[in-house]
Amino acid sequence: MHRVFQNKTAIFLFVFPGMLLFALTFLAPIVLSGYYSFTETVGPGTKVTMVGWENYANLLFHDPKFWLALRNAVLLGIGFIVIQHPICIFFAVLLDRIGGKAEKVFRTIFFIPCVISVVVISKMWLSLLDPTFGLLNKVLDVLGLDMLKHAWLGESSTALGSMLFILIWAGFGWGLLFYYAGVKGIPEDLYEAASLDGASGLKLHLRITVPLLSPVIAVQVTLAMITALKQMETVFLTTNGGPGDSTQFLAVYLYNKAFSASQYGYANAISILFVIVCLIATYLSNRFIRSDATEY
Amino acid sequence: MTKQSRLARATLLTAAIATVAALSACGGSNDGNSAANGGGGGGEGKVTLRLFSNLPDRKSGQGLAEQTVIDNYVKENPNVKIDVETLAEEPFKNKLKAYMSSNEPIDITMVHGGAELNTLVQAGYVKELDPKQYEGEQYNFLPGVYKSFTFDGKLYGLPRNSDYEVIYYNKKLFEDNGVKVPTTFAELLDAAKAFRDKGIAPMSINGKDLWSFGEMFQNVVQRYSGDQNLILDAVDKKKKFTEDENFLKAAQFLQQVRDAKMFQDSFMTADYGASQNLFTQGKAAMWYMGSWEAGMATNESLPEEFRQNLGVVQFPIAEDGKGKIDDLLAWNGGGYALVSSSKHPEEAKKFFDYLMSANQWAKTAWDTGAAVPAQKYELTGKESEVQKKLTDILVNASSTAGASFIDYGTPKYKDDTQNAFGKFFSSSAKPEQLLADLQAAADTQ
Repeated sequence: MHRVFQNKTAIFLFVFPGMLLFALTFLAPIVLSGYYSFTETVGPGTKVTMVGWENYANLLFHDPKFWLALRNAVLLGIGFIVIQHPICIFFAVLLDRIGGKAEKVFRTIFFIPCVISVVVISKMWLSLLDPTFGLLNKVLDVLGLDMLKHAWLGESSTALGSMLFILIWAGFGWGLLFYYAGVKGIPEDLYEAASLDGASGLKLHLRITVPLLSPVIAVQVTLAMITALKQMETVFLTTNGGPGDSTQFLAVYLYNKAFSASQYGYANAISILFVIVCLIATYLSNRFIRSDATEY
Repeated sequence: MTKQSRLARATLLTAAIATVAALSACGGSNDGNSAANGGGGGGEGKVTLRLFSNLPDRKSGQGLAEQTVIDNYVKENPNVKIDVETLAEEPFKNKLKAYMSSNEPIDITMVHGGAELNTLVQAGYVKELDPKQYEGEQYNFLPGVYKSFTFDGKLYGLPRNSDYEVIYYNKKLFEDNGVKVPTTFAELLDAAKAFRDKGIAPMSINGKDLWSFGEMFQNVVQRYSGDQNLILDAVDKKKKFTEDENFLKAAQFLQQVRDAKMFQDSFMTADYGASQNLFTQGKAAMWYMGSWEAGMATNESLPEEFRQNLGVVQFPIAEDGKGKIDDLLAWNGGGYALVSSSKHPEEAKKFFDYLMSANQWAKTAWDTGAAVPAQKYELTGKESEVQKKLTDILVNASSTAGASFIDYGTPKYKDDTQNAFGKFFSSSAKPEQLLADLQAAADTQ
């Protein structure tokens, strides 16, 4: 068998089907997309006119919506990293400390949002945040905080904030799961040694837990940036980028350009830039957060 | 050792070939399926036609009417089987474009006149029809209904309904609160204030879908100018949104509508269903929608009390405008077309003609109260109040628009225009800004 794996033909035959699949389902669409991004067409099968770099020029220099969508995606990414992840780490540590039966119960509860379908989550939040029947406004009413009432997802001023909140809430369970697994991997004796040396409370976790979680954090930050850029379903199902353009995200904008406005060429240009932005984001987050494998 | 490696190599080769074969079989199997479907047609004279429709509910309203005609046809033509594929509105539009790009051999499809159909025409996916063939008694189409289905003077589909915008209202809410059903813009604004004071949403609208804003703007422009063609000319760039004062007046009125909080609080996140629910549950006094909702009056799944209190009224007039109450924002949006890549063009055409006959779709849709047809129909005497009123509105119309202006340009124009309204209604933008955006949309289409 050993010789089989040294045989070049054999290696080729093993790898070929996978590569073929990759080429057909990943590379080919991207190449085609690249081609269409230089054209103007209302849809496949219709007249295709080459327009050169025009789509890109319009996109980069004359399309504030594109930049708005990108800004919102970056804001979401920052929201994930600055708000969601610290909370995730905090709860991961708490879970680990609680122990026993309660640990399992809470672990399950925290993970529930990740099990529910995106459609259900979207519809649920639409109802919760509804200005007339929504739970949130009703609660504010009862508390006598009427002036804080809003049409949360329906007003330009509060829509983006509400949207970020929903997305951060919905992704919380996944983040927690990763950090929890990370925390579980830290050997107990390290904590014992540290507390013998006089570290306790917050200091203990800042000096021991967080540094030892750095490989997980590195992966998570990359994933968070990509998730933020790719965000589509929840926005599409709740506000569809509105009101106005206040919750416009790249993927939703791309979809609407292709399927509502029938600007296939333009939408393909967006998708190519989208791929490039994702690659840059991945590269940067990998670059700045070196994950040196820790050995215990 | 050599034996073993030969065996291993043989296994590997077989596996690899099998994989490739399996992969290529995946690609080929589609052809196999459709060939099998089509083959059924040739052999024993049994034909399977494929119909693609945007009416997933086959038990009530227009879906029931469509299914009834299909059942009638199959009964009369036992050699024909009709496979119906249905999707809700937005997914339907997207899948139809996917079908278009892969030249899927369906036989008959529902189409939206105007921008959407134009794309299909450009792709050569729908067949040209001969308008002469559809003249006369058998079809009885009302005059001027082909407008949204005609491109470069050629006809590509037939309309199934007369679509026109009206205001549905809840009689009980108006009576209980002592509010007058509005016939003028001032009364409409008064009604908004009166209902707001009582904590009731004055008017429900599907703001997330955006298009209703466009219809309302067209309605208002006509009420000021008295000219149905003005706004269509602006789309054609023969007039300017930013120059004609009727557009400015209309935009200023929309600003008043916005400031009076005419629409429900959640209007920007409300899709079609959500806006309808609010109204049918008696939480909103009015619903701005089209004649295709005539079926609400006979829909058993809606509360009895609501159905008895359902009223319908024309869009109000401007006190200082030239438009009359009988000028109707009517057009023909939905319809059917024959697909070019059909495997059974003759059988498909036969069914298509049957479907569009005045005594099939038009009669069935009217008798079941599902919609107001684009063809002449006869009153049966069993109509609901809402149907009678809708008929009156249509029959007494002194002029009709013929097209909805958002569908009068390219798909990009529609998208940009709708977004301009979305921006306007969700912010405190000035009317002049709205007009500038509308003009920009017309200029860059």
